[in-house]
Amino acid sequence: MKQLKGTLFLVLSFCFVLSVTAQNKTISGKVTSQSDGMALPGVNVVVKGTTVGAATDFDGNYTINVSNNEAALVFSYVGYVTQEIVVGSKSEINVALVEDAASLDEVVVVGYGTRKKSDVTGAVSSVKSEELNAFPLLNAEQALQGRAAGVVVQSNNGGEPGAPINIKIRGNTSINASSAPLIVVDGFVGAVMPQPNDIQSIEVLKDASATAIYGSRGSNGVVLVTTKKGKSGRLSVELNSNYSIQNTANELDLLNADEFAAYQTAINPGYIQGPANTDWQDLLYRTGSTQNHQFSFSGGSDKMNFYASANYFKQEGVIINSEFERVSFLSNIDAQVTDKLKLGLNLFGSRGNKDGVPTQSTGETANGGGDDVVSLMFRFAPDLGILDENGLNTINGVGDDVDNPYAVATEGVNEIKTDNYRANLYANYDILENLTFKTTFGFSTANGTEGIFRPSTLITTAGGSTGGRATIANFKRTNLLSENYLTYTKEIGKGNLTLLAGYSYQKRSTDRFSAGAEGFTSDSFSYFNLGSGSTQLIPTSSFTESEIQSQFGRLNFDYDDKYLITATVRRDGASNFAKNEKYAIFPSGAIAWKISNEDFLKDSEKISNLKLRVSYGVTGNQSIDAYESLASFGSVFTPINGGTVINVTPNQVANPDLKWESSYQTNIGVDLGLFKNKISLSLDYYNIDTKDLIIQDSSQPEYLGFLNPASLRNVGEVNNKGFEISLNTRNITNEDFSWTTDFNWSTNKNEFVTLLDGQDIFQDASPGYFNIPRTHVLREGEAVGVFWGYEYRGVYQGGDFPAGTAILDGAEAGDQLFTDIDGSGDITTDDQKIIGDPNPDWTMGITNNFTYKNFDLNIFFQGSHGGDVMNLTNVQLFNGDSNATRDVLNSWTPSNTNTNIPRAKLRGKQITSRFVEDGSYIRLKNIALGYNLPEDITKKLGMASVRLAISAQNLLTITDYSGLDPEVSYGVVGQGSEASNTTNGFDFGNYPTVQSVNFSVNVKF
Amino acid sequence: MKTYKYIFLLIGLSIFGCSDLEEEPVGLLSPDGFFNTPKDIQTAANAAYGHMTHEDFWGRKMSLTIMLRGDMVDIGDPTTSTRRIEHNDFNVPADNGMISGYWLRVYQIIAAANQAIAGAESVDAADDVKNPVTAQAYFARAFAYFHLVRQFGDIPYLTEPITDLSASSSIGKTSAAEVYNNIIADLEFAKTWLPNTQEARSIPAKSAAHSYLALVYLTIGDYQKAYDEAKGVIDNEGTYNLGLEPDYQDLFDATKIDGSMEPIFALDFIGASDGDDGRDYQAALTGIRADEQYGIGGGWSVAVPSLEVYNTWDGRDYRKAVSLDTTGVFNGNVEPYTIFRDFHSRAVNRPHIAKYTRITGGAATNNGRGSNHNYSMMRYAEVLLIAAEALNEINPGAAEAYDYINRVRARARNSNGVTSGLYPQDVATGLTQEAFRDLVLEDRKWELAFEFKRWYDIARRKMGSEVFSASGLEGFKENFDPNQDYLFPLPADELARNPNLEPQNPGY
Repeated sequence: MKQLKGTLFLVLSFCFVLSVTAQNKTISGKVTSQSDGMALPGVNVVVKGTTVGAATDFDGNYTINVSNNEAALVFSYVGYVTQEIVVGSKSEINVALVEDAASLDEVVVVGYGTRKKSDVTGAVSSVKSEELNAFPLLNAEQALQGRAAGVVVQSNNGGEPGAPINIKIRGNTSINASSAPLIVVDGFVGAVMPQPNDIQSIEVLKDASATAIYGSRGSNGVVLVTTKKGKSGRLSVELNSNYSIQNTANELDLLNADEFAAYQTAINPGYIQGPANTDWQDLLYRTGSTQNHQFSFSGGSDKMNFYASANYFKQEGVIINSEFERVSFLSNIDAQVTDKLKLGLNLFGSRGNKDGVPTQSTGETANGGGDDVVSLMFRFAPDLGILDENGLNTINGVGDDVDNPYAVATEGVNEIKTDNYRANLYANYDILENLTFKTTFGFSTANGTEGIFRPSTLITTAGGSTGGRATIANFKRTNLLSENYLTYTKEIGKGNLTLLAGYSYQKRSTDRFSAGAEGFTSDSFSYFNLGSGSTQLIPTSSFTESEIQSQFGRLNFDYDDKYLITATVRRDGASNFAKNEKYAIFPSGAIAWKISNEDFLKDSEKISNLKLRVSYGVTGNQSIDAYESLASFGSVFTPINGGTVINVTPNQVANPDLKWESSYQTNIGVDLGLFKNKISLSLDYYNIDTKDLIIQDSSQPEYLGFLNPASLRNVGEVNNKGFEISLNTRNITNEDFSWTTDFNWSTNKNEFVTLLDGQDIFQDASPGYFNIPRTHVLREGEAVGVFWGYEYRGVYQGGDFPAGTAILDGAEAGDQLFTDIDGSGDITTDDQKIIGDPNPDWTMGITNNFTYKNFDLNIFFQGSHGGDVMNLTNVQLFNGDSNATRDVLNSWTPSNTNTNIPRAKLRGKQITSRFVEDGSYIRLKNIALGYNLPEDITKKLGMASVRLAISAQNLLTITDYSGLDPEVSYGVVGQGSEASNTTNGFDFGNYPTVQSVNFSVNVKF
Repeated sequence: MKTYKYIFLLIGLSIFGCSDLEEEPVGLLSPDGFFNTPKDIQTAANAAYGHMTHEDFWGRKMSLTIMLRGDMVDIGDPTTSTRRIEHNDFNVPADNGMISGYWLRVYQIIAAANQAIAGAESVDAADDVKNPVTAQAYFARAFAYFHLVRQFGDIPYLTEPITDLSASSSIGKTSAAEVYNNIIADLEFAKTWLPNTQEARSIPAKSAAHSYLALVYLTIGDYQKAYDEAKGVIDNEGTYNLGLEPDYQDLFDATKIDGSMEPIFALDFIGASDGDDGRDYQAALTGIRADEQYGIGGGWSVAVPSLEVYNTWDGRDYRKAVSLDTTGVFNGNVEPYTIFRDFHSRAVNRPHIAKYTRITGGAATNNGRGSNHNYSMMRYAEVLLIAAEALNEINPGAAEAYDYINRVRARARNSNGVTSGLYPQDVATGLTQEAFRDLVLEDRKWELAFEFKRWYDIARRKMGSEVFSASGLEGFKENFDPNQDYLFPLPADELARNPNLEPQNPGY
């Protein structure tokens, strides 16, 4: 065993053999990590000013001889701050090294390889596992929130259990739905994120120099995830457990039954007040909880190491009947088969089960938007109870006939079960001393079932009309990947050359089918007995397949550790590209100058690091789904002669010249380290011109008559430019106390440079039942996704219109005044204009970490400034056909004319500037207090370390926004109405954001 | 040797896949090579008829729009959607939600028909084999454009499947006169090739094209041709297997209508649907709020005739009893229309339309959504009235015109299949041309009440200033503007998508 340790020690440490000159006194001691008290093996211990040195063993112990008491020992270790201690009379010196957040010698993962952080020429942000564990995360994506400049992370749907998380890097380079970055896990391109506890590090590649190696998939940025691996020699068992309670952060102040009846009577004289007084928010909200338990064990020998973990997560949402549960497993094995050959296997599997309630619904016209419990609980009449006098679920007393939210939440079933499996085998072979071949072969599959059931007791959501309705949709996605590349390294004088060349092939396929039935003999079947339905819905099935084959290469050359050059190129061919545009080439280049290594700065006391980086490159976005450039037929339900008949109808037009989007990106960055990197600062400026923007273009006239009235087209060019600051300071570093601050700030400005024929493209992101054809506009010279509507100018008091204003046809005193743009004297669609911009001026994150002895405190604020929010909830609540906020009590009446709220009246739902609000906020996203049990106690308990933590999320939000939460996401990717990246900033039916308090325990054996 | 072993392993792992990157979609139909037999033409033509049964079109949006614009049906529930009220009150903005709701659908009917017509050219079959099938597509195209041209006047007009997106996206409007000419040409093709009868009235036969030609000519005021075509249908009533349904009620009985000889072309809802594909809402829209009498959960009281419709309609007219419900059942008790509102604050104290609620067929539940109704787009009684109206214009006083109108009146006197009433009496000859014209329009009003015909009659005869005056059935409609409101606004966003469609119709 001891021999094994010794051997491993040699392997692990950056061993250098040292000659021994004098041996007067022997010092011994132990080196540990200050953050968790774990022993640090392989720490270099050098007698200052000499070549005498030693390294710690696996228990962190060292011995070294010094010549006299004046000698000083220097302890250095990768990723830790170097410490210097004068020997004095001591013979035992124990040292706790402080982790170096801004260490320049860290190794960061880049595409197809790793680089020393100090040698990186591109814009790369990195998040390490310690930061990942600073506070409990529901998912790994959240770890990036506020941690990396220029990276915006947001839930697709507030605090919904199992809601997908959106990552957006450097603004809106793409304007279509696919603005998500490429996720690469352990080299597997397009993988799902593993659990946060299993992650060793996350790197975010931002500029073209870093992402162009991923070619046609690089333009939205790349997130590289590395999972944990076993460490040789140390068998470690770890247990993480946390539990949180959650509550909704906010409620709307709505009318009670009496107020509501009075309000409705003003609109509809003779309104008959209902029998109840129901607070639907009270009925629907509850105290939610999450629990997460993770167990892992890892270790290894000199030939093999392994890491394995199991994870269980469960969340009960703050809305009744919404839950999410997930089990996942991960295992990594690496084996050094021969001196030259290394083999490894990564395995991942998970099962997610989301049992939800419908929220953020598209608001189908047919159901009057009645399939969204959040908007329903705001709009539903408070003077009705859950059941009517006949014992049936109540239907709204005003507006569209919609079921009450309690019934929708408790009686419907919305279940999504998703299984993910991934296996990735790699082999690394050293052909020559400086030539390595790596091949990976991986396969992943995602299988999902979505079951939806509406019992006959729900009247409006197709349930009642037909005696219940159930549908099942199934998908199976597979992804097969083979990547092969050679890496060649060569020292040329003072220069280091690294060359990379590779070939990659990837095939993805998706099988889908769905079936459904209506008219069940019983409401108890849920969606598990379609055969018993009296009416079978038309089943559907489909299969799509796409392939990408690529060649790629990279050159890295650094000279004298001062001048760095990186050049990459990738050629992608993809089957989903249109017929005439199958192949594309994506080059990039970057240079960096480590000024601090020049002679004139080398010995500077103040400047410990100064590096200038410049890069330029082209990346792509292949957001064309398979077959989307081909002409196709669809079909419609066609009853003829008492039955249905088969049919085909034009679905979309062929576009053989459809091109992928290309982003031309320039990045200029400076890295500055002051006072031994106590202060490290990175500044980055970027300019991205994205050409051939692809959009589901609804500017195609409807009279073309396609089933899909929008088709994919290249429509223009958008420019994004921005500036990012990332500042890390080690304010105080003592043995007992430390304080560090991480601050990042970023600003992004985007603008359409050209659009096809200079023509505006209008978008609609409001719920279908609003029947508003235009809510957003894309216009040359304007930012992406600005709001479109009428400009509200207050309440019309009667008489002549104030200059430049008018009212809608049929309006009168007490109604809304709008800007009369065309001066026609009345308000028509010609009087609509840009009334808001959802893009924030800047976003920021600031994290302060304090440690005192065994305690640590993490405080994380996040802020956003200058983005507008369109409060669609209020568009619904102020149009007279629903309940309303108590603000309507101040509506205009002949005796209450000094108000900004028009008279109580039924009016069409309109996008007006009255509902545009400032969405700026600062939020205390997290505060966490942790405690590491002292080593003597943990030893007695037989544990290596024990950590306890309590934390709170979203405790405090400072904002002027009147809705529930300024972090809105209706109409964003994958949710809402016509979801797209160009329709941000709308608030409607979002699952509420939650406040939570979390307790966690971490035990290592 | 050992080394080679590993190298083989590496090669084995790494050599994977080499592809030409061509897409070969399975399970996805494309226009290329689709059309080979007449059956393929039928498959494409079918879709045109499928689109017609969507909620956007006859299921709710378009049918309700033209019903509300007429002078008989007013808004009942005052809190119903603004986009509906806008049509009833002639306050229609260019982004009205009803129009933008059905505009696309009408063009989907046309696109499906165009696809079938173009596809037929690649089908290698004799004209007498394939043309009778293709003629269904011609009929569908004419039917769709006929609605559009009456509502919008000059419109974008396409006759081919779209292949060049940018060219098609920038076309200008075609004048209403030219659109009418094309509609007539399409109907002539259909009349030439469609068989005399089909197995169901939801498939157009020669009679459908023939009758629609009469209506198109009537609409554009070519009364000679309108009469000729209508007469042609009447002369062929045996060949076409047409006749008047003995009992007027049975026309609105979803359980009996399939066997009737009166419908000439109908949309056949079957009580099943796929979402809003194939689902109708007329029973819900016209039914009485909270009414229990038909066991369908009451209606929504959205489209309810004005009280003057009830007051002016002669109580002896059997059609009045078929068309209107004056009582409802609430909490188990029969109650008169005068107190409907006591039972629901969104109800209205007026008789309601009964044609769509009374016998919806087995499948309809829940406000009567998803009924088994067959909606007659054209029925034989209308052909008789077209003949009468047209003949009066070209040959005033012709006895033949009186015969047609009296045939319709005679049937109206039937109840349960036997002549039981004396009203409406036969019209005695000797009326002036103008008096007869008024009479036939009045007879259309009652015979075809609530069958989505009235607005088009008002528009073609330019009766708005009269019927929307204070003496009209709905009282004075202050916003009605004869220089604007006979045409609807083109959808504002469509004009934005293709500015070559400017100018907007006057007044919008």
